[in-house]
Amino acid sequence: MTVVKFPLAPAVTGAQLPPAELRRVINACGESIASGAASGWEIGETECGDPQIYLIGPPPDFDCILSISRMGNLYVLEDGSGRILFEHDDPVLLTERAMAALRRRKSAITARIAVAWCALREAVEEKTDAMLEESMELLTHLAPQVVCLA
Amino acid sequence: MKRTTRQGGSGIGTGSVVPAENRAPREPDVKERRKLAGTWLKELRQRAGLSQIELADRLGFKYYTFVSQIENGFGRVPTESMEAWARNVGADPAKFTRELLSHYEPELYRLLFEVKK
Repeated sequence: MTVVKFPLAPAVTGAQLPPAELRRVINACGESIASGAASGWEIGETECGDPQIYLIGPPPDFDCILSISRMGNLYVLEDGSGRILFEHDDPVLLTERAMAALRRRKSAITARIAVAWCALREAVEEKTDAMLEESMELLTHLAPQVVCLA
Repeated sequence: MKRTTRQGGSGIGTGSVVPAENRAPREPDVKERRKLAGTWLKELRQRAGLSQIELADRLGFKYYTFVSQIENGFGRVPTESMEAWARNVGADPAKFTRELLSHYEPELYRLLFEVKK
């Protein structure tokens, strides 16, 4: 009997992501880094030697925005608070989800900035309105006296 | 646990250069503080005889990757997990939280706990 030995699937040995996968993930993060939504990425590993990639947010906090971990053939996408965003064995799908998560984050930040801007404008307008009213009142008191003196 | 840094420009300024011996001792920055917190958390866990997987399991996390993320200095222990985290590594929750606060929010810690000279 002849036993055909099929080639084994590439061994998944933790510690390092295959360069192609790493490139894919880095490309996915590239847009965020270029736009300033992220400051860079870092590589680490778990106690068991499972590789992790962390996408780091902008200064001054440098919070971790996304973390991608590979455990065996499973990829886990988490945000900086440990919330699981996606888990799958397909790195392509995972990269797509990572990009979607980053886009959502960018929209959320834009929305927050817009709300803060509106609140600031409202506060400034309130202050200037009050100041204008006050000076108008002052003017109505002073004007007759100035006319008398003239 | 190894860490490798790969990032874009670090944005280092080009101000005047002060000789090292004349420089005031530098305060650790945000990243360094978080790494110090991570190292401290790792030591506590190891002293409690727990693996990252065991701790994550006790804290009710689906995967242990978040524990690793925090210990590597890329995340913070969520406020809602602090008490359970402390108890599971055999630490007093108040002291544990205070120590983490000194790393995560040094200015707040200074205002709250440091005695004015």
